[in-house]
Amino acid sequence: MLTFWEQFPIVFSALNEGFVQTLKLFFITLLGALPLGLLISFCSMSKFAPLQKLTRMIIWIVRGSPLMLQLLIIFFGPGLLFGVPIWGGGESGRFTAAAVAFIINYACYFSEIYRSGIESIPHGQYEAGQVLGMTKRQIFFKVTLLQMVKRIVPPMSNEIITLVKDTSLARIIALQEIIWAGEAFTTTSHGISGQVWPLFFTGVYYLAFNGILTILFSKLEKKLDYFKI
Amino acid sequence: MAFLQVNHIEKHFGSTKVLENISFSMEKGQVLAIIGSSGSGKTTLLRCLNFLETPGSGQIVLNDEVLFDGETYHAISDEEQRKKRLHFGMVFQSFNLFPQYTALQNVTLAPSLQKKQSAEEIDALGKSLLKKVGLENKMDFYPCQLSGGQQQRVAIARALALHPDILCFDEPTSALDPELTGEVLKVIKGLKGGDSTMIIVTHEMEFAKNVADRIIFMADGVIEEEGTPDEIFGNPKSEKIKAFLAKSLETI
Repeated sequence: MLTFWEQFPIVFSALNEGFVQTLKLFFITLLGALPLGLLISFCSMSKFAPLQKLTRMIIWIVRGSPLMLQLLIIFFGPGLLFGVPIWGGGESGRFTAAAVAFIINYACYFSEIYRSGIESIPHGQYEAGQVLGMTKRQIFFKVTLLQMVKRIVPPMSNEIITLVKDTSLARIIALQEIIWAGEAFTTTSHGISGQVWPLFFTGVYYLAFNGILTILFSKLEKKLDYFKI
Repeated sequence: MAFLQVNHIEKHFGSTKVLENISFSMEKGQVLAIIGSSGSGKTTLLRCLNFLETPGSGQIVLNDEVLFDGETYHAISDEEQRKKRLHFGMVFQSFNLFPQYTALQNVTLAPSLQKKQSAEEIDALGKSLLKKVGLENKMDFYPCQLSGGQQQRVAIARALALHPDILCFDEPTSALDPELTGEVLKVIKGLKGGDSTMIIVTHEMEFAKNVADRIIFMADGVIEEEGTPDEIFGNPKSEKIKAFLAKSLETI
């Protein structure tokens, strides 16, 4: 039986490996969901009724059902329905499926935050731009965008911090993120058996990373403090 | 032909008639005040001139150029509409300054987007306009750091920066504390005399009397009476305007 200090380096490197996977999923989700969410928010505000209704229905389905279920459906669905497992095997296939599920899920949440930001801009701002001869594009980029950003920073930081923790749901399809790596030590992993502390220790990683994010977001909020809406 | 000619403008919101058969004209350099009780259609008329509302029918002709014609309106592109709109400047009741820009940037934003002048020229223009409205010491202040009266003066400078043929004011002092209205009205009065042509929707009767060359009194979507300040205030004809003036001059 190894002592705690003999176990520690082994556990540490295994957890690090898992955390890399966690971070990869986090950043790829952000990269995909931030722009996709904007597109979805535009569709959900479209004046073309069928598109608007369809988009709002998709948002309802995605926000109204558990992300864990969505992960399972996206990972197993194609194979079960069409007999074609499109994700390929192994960790990389599981990662792709997880990324797709997370991007769709978070894009829907982000889209509602964007929508609230866009709709909170007073109509007078658009009119002021119009009477000054600005194009719609100029009004969006030069007038309303920064005001929107200022308004959505607090709800976005909330959602993004939730995303960090939600990545752990991907272990339902055996993605080897940090909770998966910690849990493995409760049975046997890297020659260590029946240890629960590595699983608890994963909390330190989440806290540290979310601590950094919190600091970054409050810096951004301060940066936008120079004007009031 | 008059400088601005408005012919038979109609505007309905659903089944509510907001403007009915509005026709008037004005000359270059004139100041026209539009008075009347709330809901009489004053603001809607101003918004029609700025294309913030589209009239149902009628014509707007400025300097022999047809800016709006109910018959052919649908054929106008966004681009054309933006050009036509630039003949009019607009100062809003609620200022609508861009909060993330300084006073100077608020004034220079639109000209710099048009790219017709160099950055230095635009900067100089912005500074001279802010000086004109008495804010040379506040150029780098953000709107949230300015009082309501100062914000409205920035808004006036912003509208002037595009050299509109006609500058429109939509109740420019209604959102201001009484002690701040004076500074804004003084600036507007100061613009008179140059070649500024102005249309002012206002509840300030004294101001209308002193500054306007002509006054239009609106009630229930129609022009009830039109004339010089002396005619309107000294010798009003219709019953509606008599009642309105009696109310607005009433001392409590």
